[in-house]
Amino acid sequence: MFDDFKPEDVAWIILFLPLLAAAGIALFTKRDGKFSAQISIAAVALTFLVSCGLFLMFKDAKLVPTTPLNWLNIGDLKVELGLRLDPLSLLMLLVVTGVGTMIHIYSFGYMKEDRCMGRYFGSLSLFMFSMLGIVLSNNLVMTFIFWELVGVSSYLLIGFWYEKPSAADACKKAFITNRLGDFGFILGIILVWATLGSVSFDELQQRLLKAPEAWGGVAAIAGLLIFCGAMGKSAMFPLHVWLPDAMEGPTPVSALIHAATMVAAGVYMLCRVFFLFGAHTVWPEFLSFLNGWSALDIISWIGGFTALIAALMAVQQNDIKRILAYSTLSQLGYMVMAVGLTGPTAAMYHLTTHAFFKALLFLGAGSVIYACHHEQDIWHMGGLKKKMPVTFWTFLLGTLALCGLPPLSGFYSKDEILAAAADPVHGNLFLFIIAALVALLTTFYMSRLVLVTFFGANRSDHADHAHESPKVMAWPLVILAVPTVLAGFWGIDSFLNRQLAPEAVAHHGNFLETMFAPFGHAPLAAFVGLGATVFGFSLAYGVYAHAENDPLPEKLGFLSRAMRDRFYFDEIYSGLIAITHEAISRLANWFDRWIIAGLGVRGLHGSTEIVGRALRLVQTGNLQTYAFLFVAGLVLVLLFAMK
Amino acid sequence: MLTSIILLPFLAALVILLMPRDYRVGIRGVALLATLGSLLIATKMFLGYEAAEAGVGGYKFIQRMPWVESLGINYFVGVDGINVGLIFMGAIVAFAAACVSWEIKTNEKLYYVLLMVMTGGILGAFASLDLFFFYAFHEFALIPTFIMIGVWGRGENKNYATYNITLYLSAGALIALVGLIGLYLQVPAAQRTFDIVALTEYFRANPMATNAQHFIFPLLMFGFGILVSLWPFHTWAPLGYGAAPTATAMLHAGVLKKFGLYGLIRIALPLMPEGAKQWLNVLALLCLGNILYCGWVAMRQRDLNQLIGNSSVAHMGFVFLGIASLNLIGVTGAVVVMIAHGLLAALTFALSGYIRTQTNTLNMDEMGGLLRKLPFIGAALVMAMMAGCGLPGFANFVGELSVMFGAWKASFGHAKWFVVAAAWGGLVIGAIYMLRAVRSVLHGELSEKWNDVQDAVLWRKTPFVLLLVALVAFGFWPRLLTDKIKPSAEAIVKMATATKVPEPKVQTAQAK
Repeated sequence: MFDDFKPEDVAWIILFLPLLAAAGIALFTKRDGKFSAQISIAAVALTFLVSCGLFLMFKDAKLVPTTPLNWLNIGDLKVELGLRLDPLSLLMLLVVTGVGTMIHIYSFGYMKEDRCMGRYFGSLSLFMFSMLGIVLSNNLVMTFIFWELVGVSSYLLIGFWYEKPSAADACKKAFITNRLGDFGFILGIILVWATLGSVSFDELQQRLLKAPEAWGGVAAIAGLLIFCGAMGKSAMFPLHVWLPDAMEGPTPVSALIHAATMVAAGVYMLCRVFFLFGAHTVWPEFLSFLNGWSALDIISWIGGFTALIAALMAVQQNDIKRILAYSTLSQLGYMVMAVGLTGPTAAMYHLTTHAFFKALLFLGAGSVIYACHHEQDIWHMGGLKKKMPVTFWTFLLGTLALCGLPPLSGFYSKDEILAAAADPVHGNLFLFIIAALVALLTTFYMSRLVLVTFFGANRSDHADHAHESPKVMAWPLVILAVPTVLAGFWGIDSFLNRQLAPEAVAHHGNFLETMFAPFGHAPLAAFVGLGATVFGFSLAYGVYAHAENDPLPEKLGFLSRAMRDRFYFDEIYSGLIAITHEAISRLANWFDRWIIAGLGVRGLHGSTEIVGRALRLVQTGNLQTYAFLFVAGLVLVLLFAMK
Repeated sequence: MLTSIILLPFLAALVILLMPRDYRVGIRGVALLATLGSLLIATKMFLGYEAAEAGVGGYKFIQRMPWVESLGINYFVGVDGINVGLIFMGAIVAFAAACVSWEIKTNEKLYYVLLMVMTGGILGAFASLDLFFFYAFHEFALIPTFIMIGVWGRGENKNYATYNITLYLSAGALIALVGLIGLYLQVPAAQRTFDIVALTEYFRANPMATNAQHFIFPLLMFGFGILVSLWPFHTWAPLGYGAAPTATAMLHAGVLKKFGLYGLIRIALPLMPEGAKQWLNVLALLCLGNILYCGWVAMRQRDLNQLIGNSSVAHMGFVFLGIASLNLIGVTGAVVVMIAHGLLAALTFALSGYIRTQTNTLNMDEMGGLLRKLPFIGAALVMAMMAGCGLPGFANFVGELSVMFGAWKASFGHAKWFVVAAAWGGLVIGAIYMLRAVRSVLHGELSEKWNDVQDAVLWRKTPFVLLLVALVAFGFWPRLLTDKIKPSAEAIVKMATATKVPEPKVQTAQAK
């Protein structure tokens, strides 16, 4: 068995450690919350270490596949589960396990008083297993399997406090909305398989190189169907409605799943199958109105639009977690837009830095919420700067990174996206304007959040009695602040370019050169980005520096209300569902009850009764209908056979 | 080996019949032991299937005994890749059903006799390779079903439900019988036989007259279809399962119902390829009625058992779709769905039965927050509901996935749009009603009136754990099933897609 052991097969350990932890907790140690937490933390920390080892071993390799496992093999349908180590997955592996470890440790403090701590950590380990499965997957079906599994672990964690009706509703909504996306995803997978005859990424890539003409006719539609999956997980318009509600889950969950990793899986998956989008676009007959658009165009516009509406919604939220949730939506929109603008490197780069600083921001928010006894309204906080210095300073760093202030990491990754939008060949002027506007709005709402929460006077007793969170929660903040600040200098983009854009020239320079590289490389994008940040901050400072309550609702009137009420998407959707599925379901139920069961069965009942009575008249005995029909059937068949 | 699997429950019935009626523990013990024995032997058979020696027609574990020689009726049992899994699943469900029968407190002696007869009949029907026994065993299982619902059934609709299910299933069985007799008569008098293997061989060499196929195939399709709640002949199912005692619902919805599908795959498809060509697109249309329409109906149910019953009808649509696609992937997928759904249906009915013993109601509007009181049962219910909406990790996913992949390549018109509709039904509508059920039964605030609700104690967890383990095991290692099913399904598909004059060379090329 160990004869053909390869070092890369160690990667299987990464996948199964969290699964073992989850299974062990579920089966044996659930009642002992603390012990379960230790198992779960140990598992994730170990996966992080193994990931680091794998990264060091294979960081220069192009693609290292592990020994595959023949999982399903029926005729043409062949699914071999295997792990795939390449720059894309190695980077994502480090992000997921690294951020994951910090959040697991933080959770130990945050969930200490919850009596279902065992269940919490079990679900968290299940999530890690599923997420790592997506990261390492080597084929579409395997991706789909783990795709569904992250969906269910997210469901379990959003609904962790299931006794709260809002949480119970939110987890249901999240799962069903994701299922809408997965509906398209699975059809896309089937279409790809039916056209190219494989589901393995490697084989698909080779077949595309060999015979691209087979793919042309369905490329656009299959690409968009697969994108549907990303739309669900990464909460792109029009499936964005579940993510803000998902904030009903515990805050560390929001940080891990609904900010840093799972929601980014959509973007990761798009980068993974990016080679499928290269073909020339031909739309089938019934979609001919789309002629002139490529699948990537549509993707970039959906991303840009999501980024814009989410940023607008964020401006008028008052719940600290919801502001961050809309901000996540908006940043995900950025990433998807970057993919659509043929910049998968930029998307992955932003995904990475965003994972660091958004996890930091959520954990910081969690720390604030914890200190204020589960108060989440920023207008009931204030003046927390002095009371919670660690939280404040780390949160500030996260905010500045998100706003894109050089030399923090967010600046460089966002700059690449702006540069992709400004690119003369693949770029798009409108999208560039949208992206700049989003940058401005981002700085505005984040500054509002920081100014209202941490500065000014205490607005409630809770805020008055707040104090710094315990060390187990403070340290992860500090540790996450390091990559938040420095990730811009680690050459993440050139590392990714090796796989995603081999033709790009890697530029190496000293520290200062790297710092100012964006200004020389794409000056328009860099200066516009920086300008948007500065302008957004001064605007927010003017409005909120000394505000006791939000002055915007009065100034903006209806627009402000529309932003706060999420542009009424939820209401429109529930209306739509009511007139479609609910109505059909009512109709079907009525039809079932009164027509099929009613008329059909009672009619049959009636006629049998008549036949029975007739029989009784004829036969006088109590010959069973059953026997009679038996004979009648026999006679009929005999007649037929003789004919 | 096969005979002992079938015989043990019948023997148990006999033993129980001879026991005094107040030896309750003894009666229950005999039933448990007999089903456990069947399960152990079936497990051994399932695990030893690959290694076993193949006999006539590729069947394994064959046993044959002449019965009425003048009519050519033999007791003849054997398994291939298709029924080996079904029998294994049936034995698991039978043991689980015996386990959950603790809820029966009246007239236990008669109950267990009927339960054992039903179990024996079910296992016998799937093992038989003789048409006569194939049909007779099914009737053996069917009649106890009716009596059990009539006597130990629950709810105000009990009588109507008993009446309804009896009427429908008898009608279905009769129509199928007419079809089978027609089939029998298609063989010239000198060669007439009830032997399914011999019949298959005969029709492979001498294909049946096309017009006879066009006439007999729909008889089997609708006759068997009614037994499986093919739309629009499905209304008996939710009604009947809602009223049935837990074990009966588990055995019927889980195993006995699959008899119709098994008959379609084993008899109708290979013997009547021309009939299949003519009628399978009708079947494909009707299966959308199952998947979509019954899914929508399930969305409106407020009674947990009605919801599960409707969802079980909806799942049958996937099997029909797999059969209609008439290719290796689709048919293999269909068999996997049959086995997976058998385990799942048994699990969900067992769970709802347990909940009913605690709450005396299954009205979901009255429940809520029960997860706090029922951590084990609740977790199992969540898992069952997730399996029901096709979550990977459970066997159902593998089956439904293969069915969709297979149907995409099916030859009937607009097959791709059928897959789109099936995916919508399985992924979206399924998720909606399953999660709504979880939301209203388990989530939310706990009402005061459920303070006395008790979770399952250790030994009562056995049936649930057993069914869940089987679902997960097949979900993680689907090749446990597919590797067995594949060769047998391939042979059937080969016959079913054969042109009128057999051309072996073309067929082998297709098989690749």
